[in-house]
This record gives sequence, structure tokens and C-alpha cells, in this order.
Amino acid sequence: MIGSLSLTILGPLALALLCVLQPKPLAARFFALLGSAITLFVGAGALIDFAQHPGSDFRLVESHVWSTFFGAHFALGVDGISAAMLALSGLVTLIATIAAWDEQRSPRAYHALVLFLLAAMNGVFGTLDFLVFYVSWEVLLVPMLALIGVWGGEQRRYAALKFFVYTLAGSVLMLALLLALYNATPKGTDHTFDLRTLAQMWPVWRDSTLFGWPLARFGFFAVLIACLVKVPAVPVHTWLPHAHVQAPTAVSVLLAGVLLKLGVYGLYRIAWPLFPGEAIAFGPMIGVIGVIGILWGAWVALGQRDLKRLVAYSSVSHMGFCLLGLASLTVAGVTAGMVQAVTHGLSSSLLFLLVGVIYDRAHHRDVQGFGGLAKPMPRFTWILLLGALAGAGLPGLAGFIGEFLAFCGGFTAAAPFPLLTLFAVLSVVLSAAYMLWLLKRVSYGPLRHEEHANFPDCTPRELASLLPLCALLVMVGIWPGPLVDALRSSCEALLQHVQGARP
Amino acid sequence: MIPGWLPLVIWFLPLATALIVSRVAWSRAALAHGVAASAMGVTTLLSIWLAKQVVSSDHSMIGPHVKWLDLGSIVLGFGVYLDPMGAVMTVIVCLLATLVLLFNAWYMHDDEQAARFPWQFCFFVFAMLGVVISDNLFQSFCCWELVGLGSYLLIGFWFQKPAASEDPGYQAMQAKGARGVLLQQLSPAHSQLKAFIMNRVGDAGFLIGIGALLAIALQNGKSGEVLGWQNLLTLRSGNATFLGLSQGALMTVAALGIFCGAVGKSAQFPLHTWLPDAMQGPTTASSIIHAATMVAAGVFLVARCYPMFPPEALHVVGWIGGITCFIAATIACVQWDLKAVLAYSTVSQLGLMFVALGAGEEAGGRAAGIAHLFTHAMFKCLLFLCAGAVIHACHGQQDLHRMGGLRKQMPVTAFASLLAVFAIGGAPFFSGFYSKDAVLAAALHHAQSLGGSAWGPFALACGGSLLTSAYMLRWWLRVFAGSLRDHSIGHHAHDPSGFAKYVLVAMMPFTLLLPFTVGDWLDRALLAPHGEGHHEAHSMAMVLALSMLAVGFGFALLVFWLAPRRGKDLAGSLASTLWPLHTFCSELWFFDKLWDLLFTRGIGRTLAAITARLDLGSAERLRGLESFAASGRLAALSIDGLVDGIGSTCRRLGRVGASVHAGRLGAYLAIASLLGAIGLLWGLLR
Repeated sequence: MIGSLSLTILGPLALALLCVLQPKPLAARFFALLGSAITLFVGAGALIDFAQHPGSDFRLVESHVWSTFFGAHFALGVDGISAAMLALSGLVTLIATIAAWDEQRSPRAYHALVLFLLAAMNGVFGTLDFLVFYVSWEVLLVPMLALIGVWGGEQRRYAALKFFVYTLAGSVLMLALLLALYNATPKGTDHTFDLRTLAQMWPVWRDSTLFGWPLARFGFFAVLIACLVKVPAVPVHTWLPHAHVQAPTAVSVLLAGVLLKLGVYGLYRIAWPLFPGEAIAFGPMIGVIGVIGILWGAWVALGQRDLKRLVAYSSVSHMGFCLLGLASLTVAGVTAGMVQAVTHGLSSSLLFLLVGVIYDRAHHRDVQGFGGLAKPMPRFTWILLLGALAGAGLPGLAGFIGEFLAFCGGFTAAAPFPLLTLFAVLSVVLSAAYMLWLLKRVSYGPLRHEEHANFPDCTPRELASLLPLCALLVMVGIWPGPLVDALRSSCEALLQHVQGARP
Repeated sequence: MIPGWLPLVIWFLPLATALIVSRVAWSRAALAHGVAASAMGVTTLLSIWLAKQVVSSDHSMIGPHVKWLDLGSIVLGFGVYLDPMGAVMTVIVCLLATLVLLFNAWYMHDDEQAARFPWQFCFFVFAMLGVVISDNLFQSFCCWELVGLGSYLLIGFWFQKPAASEDPGYQAMQAKGARGVLLQQLSPAHSQLKAFIMNRVGDAGFLIGIGALLAIALQNGKSGEVLGWQNLLTLRSGNATFLGLSQGALMTVAALGIFCGAVGKSAQFPLHTWLPDAMQGPTTASSIIHAATMVAAGVFLVARCYPMFPPEALHVVGWIGGITCFIAATIACVQWDLKAVLAYSTVSQLGLMFVALGAGEEAGGRAAGIAHLFTHAMFKCLLFLCAGAVIHACHGQQDLHRMGGLRKQMPVTAFASLLAVFAIGGAPFFSGFYSKDAVLAAALHHAQSLGGSAWGPFALACGGSLLTSAYMLRWWLRVFAGSLRDHSIGHHAHDPSGFAKYVLVAMMPFTLLLPFTVGDWLDRALLAPHGEGHHEAHSMAMVLALSMLAVGFGFALLVFWLAPRRGKDLAGSLASTLWPLHTFCSELWFFDKLWDLLFTRGIGRTLAAITARLDLGSAERLRGLESFAASGRLAALSIDGLVDGIGSTCRRLGRVGASVHAGRLGAYLAIASLLGAIGLLWGLLR
């Protein structure tokens, strides 16, 4: 019996196969739409369920035996956090598919790879089994490597290779951890990779050792490194600007919209529940890393001329809030981390799409090479204003919620966090500066280039990909209650679990 | 009983209007203005009725409240709280908005973008009302930011306009003898950016203030709607410690944080430089946003949070206000731009309000500051509308140096602005007389009772007031008195036509004393204190204010009216005699240049370029990436270069390993014998 979560993994896989097996590009596009629509439907359905009936339990649970020898199960299930991530991955893939509708270079292979990627992402978000998690985590690098390396820009080989090797190297230790956990399971208990059971067994990991190191400490850092590379946290972030600049627009959208969230999700799902003692002990360190990311990313973004690189660094800055929030171990902070992950997925997708819109017209991304586009492209400018303000965290738009809650959490948390938050607050100035400066240089002022005067405004297809994101940014910004309610119970449960490990 | 839905209607009607009017096509600007103005008119009537109810009843109105986010210990929400101060502010915002919209229909009648004005304007009004009727600090912060957005949009209304230094049309005008700081004018796109970012600097402080309050509340064991006014007022009596700070110190941090937000929004020193640049927006927008209401939101917020401000924080408020009041007044004296004079005068008057607030509740500071906010809103808005009429009549010319004698062509405008000048100067029977006297009295009373450095704000405020009457009369004389200096810009000048003229007429009575003092309603609404000490301070302050008015007006009359009639350029010779002072003031005390150097160029550009360079390496390195070519050490000196360095080291190690496995028998033998020898040695030596 296939449950709806299996469908979000197996469905895209099957559709990916279909894409390659049949000859028509148009059909491939519709398959990609269908695959992402299924994910969105299941994810949004689950999210709405969690919003209406908040709870920290896992829903849509299914389990199929994979290997009795390893004790591995194809176990699926979502709580509020993963439901939100699943909905995000469906939505962003849907929008990326619309954005890549006109892709001319082997469209069938392209959409097949996107569907493959989607299946792997859903595997990470939907699973309750560490082994499935790890396999999906690593497998999704393959389609991404191909998408950047084949459909990318001029330096695509370098960027794709760097992305692949960097993230792979980051998660090598996670494999070792998998084996170590298997070995450390006490005699008499069944071997399992079920994350719920592993989380309950945290005292076991705390008390066992690996090569003289406490296993929990090794495990925490193994997962932490893998996740920090993905987030990406400063200083292990430099694969991101290359990957973003070289990736085609739609792939950038997927990268910023979903892939970065895998890192945060990994921390929420594995590092914090399995190794709560370490999470408490090293929380301040994570907070420092988060704040460094917030400020460094913002400052570097301020110094960029390449539009895509600018938006990429703004992502580095915004994702720092997820780390700060999670590490602060307050309800507001932990919830903020997840809210920020979702809203950043929306706003950065929007910004990358917008960069794509002008790149399609001007064929360059140098921010100095524009000016005064508000006159020929008013709709584009309004949407860019919305995206920029969402990125700058203006109240009434989604970006504000995560930031404000992270501040609330940080200021009310234990000792070092209020001080860290004091620095993080600087980002409200910096983010406004780089976002609105970008807007000024692109859209406002007199028209700098004659040939820009007859740029067409956004086409209906572009609007079809842009407007849903705008609507969601406004909706979540004005009424964040449902999203926060859906996330809060799971975050509270996580917090309680972690606090339970306090000596 | 006041119905709870009424404030909500007043709040959301502007938003609904904005949404509807934004759909009106560009070519039908008159329709858009008409719809927006009538909606605002209805809002005004409702708000007047509401204010009457609130002021006549003795207690504040606590309206409906909704929860927005529930995070366990912290609950955030939106709601309505109206005390007499808020109710009167609501009326002023709505009334001025209606009048300005009517005026703008004429002002922009030949502007093809005019239809964009009403909806952005209504959006601003919505945000502003949100600050005024808010029942908690969180809502205030949200609307505070939205107000900033409204201001951002309206400053950049003519976003395609180039900076003055790049504008050929402007240079043509410049050639005929303009002077002053006009050449340094930023483009609207630049000004809006500057305004938003400088406001954000203040808002960062605001956020820290909110954070401190949250921390205090949670430490004191409170939870729920901790940011609501009612809950905040109970905070002063706790005894929490947090991060080694006592409750009192934390309260000071919180108060100063909130004041920091006010410094940004109300353009106080050291964040005052954005407001004069904000004059790049349409004059009608400036009239209400950057003169009457938005910039006064800082004053309003501090007054709202007044019970939370410990004396130390109020001391800072008073000093910042005094410094701003004086600096801005000296700058306003030497400006040659019609709007720049008014802008600096606004900054200066806002400083005066903070001087009053700094005097404390007992000295009547809060009542005086808010009273001055109200009277200032009316006469400054009128002044700006008159300035708009003059600019319109002179085809966009704003150079005081080339105006003059317009009173004949524009009698209504001249009369209206003269009334407003008397009001801002604080002449008897005008509204400024009432409020400025109250401000000085409060500051004086505070200084007398406290002594020491409390005299500073009072002295600075006196200096500012003296200069204010001088430069405002200079402004009027330059524009309206004497004879026409430049026929090319003045000979077609005429008063605003139709509605717009009546808008000016309608605002005239509010420059007078009577509407604010009849039946002492404002004093009673604001709970202005009465007592022996106050009477004494009042009479002293009145004498002081009147003598300063006389000196200021006398000086302006002498230099800008009597001397030019005799054919003497007294102003010019004064400026050349006192040239260091004159240069210092007309260079804006070098604040703009210094801030530009420190923040825009220093922190903004240079530091950003350095971090970007440290992150990814030089541009040369970035170009050579695809060929995997090793770039120079210096070019690669960066985080990313380090990562690639690790990569290439691995590759080099790999090559070494690969060479070992190349299948050369000699190499294998050599390595084997080497290892064997080492092993043997080790074994022997052990």
C-alpha cells in the first residue's frame, strides 16, 4: 500500500523516468508540473492539517521494511516542520518549472533531473529513517551536479565540481556516524535507524565512546558540519556564490528555495534531537556562527556587483537567523529558525526569478549596467520592490516574521544570546542598504542605457511564476498565525526534548 | 459609549481607499484624487466625532484587540488604544490628509504620474494612523516601518529625475546665478534610499529597546501581551536583573532604544541629515509626511512611552532635542533653497518638542511637547503648501535668491504664509505663542528645579527660537516682499486656483491661538499641570519668548527689508564678514560630508569591498576559475582561495601518490628499501 508520502517520492521518480522515455518536450514539462503539484498538494495538505490541529506528533506515517538485517525501514512521516518543508519544496519546484518552461537545451533530460531532485528532497523531508535520510541527502547532489554542470553558465564546470565536492566532503562524516550509531546500539535491542527511537536513545550516545571520543560529540559535529556546509554558514559558504552565479535561473531558485533549507532541517531533525546535550553545550558557538554569517553575508552582499551573487550573499545573511534562532533554545527562537527557512525560501526564490527576468533581456547581471528600468518595466519594479522589502524584513511581508521572532528569542535567551542579538540587529540596516541600493541602481533614477527603453515588461509566463510568490509573501506577512501554529508545537516538543538533557 | 468598530473604520478606510485608488488608470488622476479626498473627508468627520467623545470622557478608550502570534510566553497582537492625545492626533492626520489631497489635485494637474499620488498617500495615512491608535509597542513598530515605506515611496515619487548635478535643465537655471547648496541636491532615488536607511539605523535601536523590554518582562515573570501599554507601564516597579544589569539600567537601555527609533524618524541629531534630502519628494507630500505628521511620530512615540522613561533617559532626550534645535536653526538661516529652509526649520522645531519632553511630566513637558506637535503640524503644513504654490507658480524654481515681490501676484498665498510665519515665530494671538511658551516654560521649570546641566537644553532651545523667528521672516521677505528679482520665473505667477486656494484659506484659522485654547480644551486633554511654580515659569518664558521674537523679527526686517530698500546688501556683507561662521553653517556643519565619508564611503563601500575581496578573492582570480588555473597567492588570498588551496593540495598529494603507483619497478624497489632501512634503524635504536 503506497501512502501519500511515498507518492511524493516515487511519483516524481516515475515521472522522471517517463520524461526520458517519451519523446515530447511539452509532455516532460507537464510531468514536472504534475510531480511538483503532487508534492505541493501533499505538503500543503499536511501543513494545513497541522495549522488546524496543532500537535507535535508525526502524521501520514507509513513504514515498509527495507532490510531486516540492518534494521532499516522505508519509514515516512511528517511533523509540522517537515510538512512546511515539503510544501515549500513542492511550491518552489512548481515555480521553477514554470520559470524554466522555455528551456531549449534537452528539455526532457532537464525536467527529468528536476523531478529526480524533487524526489530526493522529498526523501529527506519526508523520512523518519536515518538511512533513507542519508541516502536521499547524498543522492540529490547528483541531479544538482548535472543541472549546474550542463545547463550552467560560462564557469559551470568549476562551480558544479566545487558544489559537489564541497557538500559531499561535508557529509562524509555523517556516513561514519551512521555506522557508529549502528555499532553503539546496546546488545539486546534491535538495530534501528528510526529517528524517533534514536532520539529517545540519546543517553546511550552520550555514554558510549568512539576512538576515545564521546559518541554524541562526534555525532553532533558530524551532522553539524554536513548541515553547516549546506546552510551555508560562514566560513564554509563559498561554494554558494559560484553555484548560484553559474546555475540557470530555475536551478538557482531550487538551490536557494529548497536546498539551503536541507541544512537547517538536518539540524532540527538530527543534530538537536539525537545529541541534545551537545546542542546545549555548543549552542552559543552555533549562535556566534549564525551572527557571523548574518553580518558577513550582509557586508559582502553590499560589496557585490553581480546581481546573482548579491542575492546569494543575502541568502547567507538570512540563513544566519535560522542558526541564531535554533541555537537560542527559546520557543520564539526555535520557531523563528523554521519560519525564516520557509519565508527565505519564498523571498529568495522571488529575487532569483527577478534577476532572471532582467538577465533574459539584458544578457548581463552587472548591477552598474542598469538604471531607470522603472519606466519601461513598472510591473517588474513593483515586484522587485516587494522582493527587496521582504528581504529587508519590512513588517507586513513574510521576511519580517522570522527576523523579528529570532530577535525576540535571542533577546530573551540565556547569557551570550542577548549580546549576539545586539550585533544581529545591525542586519536591519545592512539588509535595507543592499536590497534598496540594488533597487535604486536597477530601477530608479534616469534611464542609463538607450536600448533598455524598449525592454518589455514581465510576460504572462513570468508573472505566473512571480505573482504566487508575491501573494504568499504578503499573506504570510499579514497573517502568519497558521504557519507559526503549524511549526510551533513541533518546535516546542524539540525544545522540551533538548531541555530534558540539561543536567 | 464609543463603538469599538469606529477606530477600526477610521484606520482601515485609508487602506481600502489606497487599494481601490491604486487601480485607477494613470490618465484619470482627477478621479483618483476625488475618490481619495472624499474617503479621507469621511474619515476626518468620523475621527472628529470620535475625538470629541474621547476628549470629553475622562478616560482613554480601549478598543478591540486581536492576537496575531502566540508564542507561549510572548503574545503579539494588534489593537486600539485612544487617549485624548491620540484622538486629537488622529483628527490632525485625517484633516491634513484631506486638505493636502485636495491641494494636490491642483498641484499635480499637469503631472502625468499624478494618479500614483493618492494611493501612496492613503497608504501612508493608514500606516500613520496605525502608529497613533496602537495599543502596544509591537504594533507601533510595525506601523512605524510601514510609515517609513510610505515616506520612501513618496520621496521617490519622481524616481526618474536625475540628481541636480546631472540635470541639464537644472544647470541651465544654475547658470543664471543660483547659489547655496542646490548643486549638492541628491536625486529622488538617492534621497529615498538615504531616508529609509537612516530610519533603519534608528529602528535597530528601537528593536533593541523592544528586546530589552521583553527581557525585563520575562525576567519579572510576566507573560502574554507583554508589549501592551498597560503591561509596559507596570514594568518600572520590578526588580529583575539580566546580564548583570539592574532593572533600572535595563529600563534606561529600553527607553534609550525607543528614543533611538524616534531620533531616526524625527530626524534628530545625529540622524537628522535625511530629512532635508527628503524634500526631493513632491512638496505636497513633504507638507504632511516630512513636516506635520510622520516626523512627529517620534515625538508621539516618546510621549506614549513616557511613563517608562527614567529621568536619565529624559535627560538625554532633552539634550539631543536642544542640540538639534540649535544646529538646525543655524543651518536654516543660510539656506537658499525655498524648501531647505522649511526642512531645517522642521528639524529644529522637532528638536524643540524633544526639549519639552526632556523636561519631564512634572514640569509639564509632555503636555507642552504634544501641544507644540499639534500647532506645528498645522502651521508647518500650511507653510509647505504655500511653498508648493510658489514653486508651482515659478515653474519648479526653488531658489530664494531669485524670488521676491510675489505678494502682488499671489496675495492669498502671501497672506497665508505670513500668518504661518507669525505662528512659528510665536507672535501673540498665534498658535505658536501658546505652545512655544509652554515648551520654554517647561524647560525653564525643569532647569530651575534641577539646575546644572539641565540648563543646557533650555539655553539651546532659546537660541533656536531666536534664530527661528529671524530666518522664517527672512524666508517670507525673500519670497514675497520687495520687487521681482527674476522676471523669467515670476511674471506668470498666480495664486492656486479653485479648491486649492480655499484649502489655504481653510487652514488659516489654525495658525491662530483661539482654536487651541478655547475653553482650555487642549490643556485639559493633555493634563497640563497648573501650579504656582508653573505660573512663574510661564510668565518668565513669555517675556523671554516675546523678546526673542522681537529681536529676531527686528533683525530680519532690518537686513532683508529695510536695507535692500535703501539699496544696501547688508546680508551679503554680513556673510562675507562672518565668513567662517557662514561657511560652517551653509556646509551644514559638515555633518552630511562627514557621515558620507564615514558611513557611505567608509563602512558602506570600502569595508564592503574589502569583505567581498576577502570572501572570494580578486576579480582576476574569479575570471580564471573555469580553467582551474592557479592564480597568484595575493589574488587568491580569501576564504574561497583557501578552500581551493586545500583542493589543489589534495590534488598535488594525489599526484605524488599516483607517481608511486606508476608501475616503475625501480621506484617500488627504492621505496621498499627506504622503508626497510627506516624500520631497521627504528628497531635497532629502540
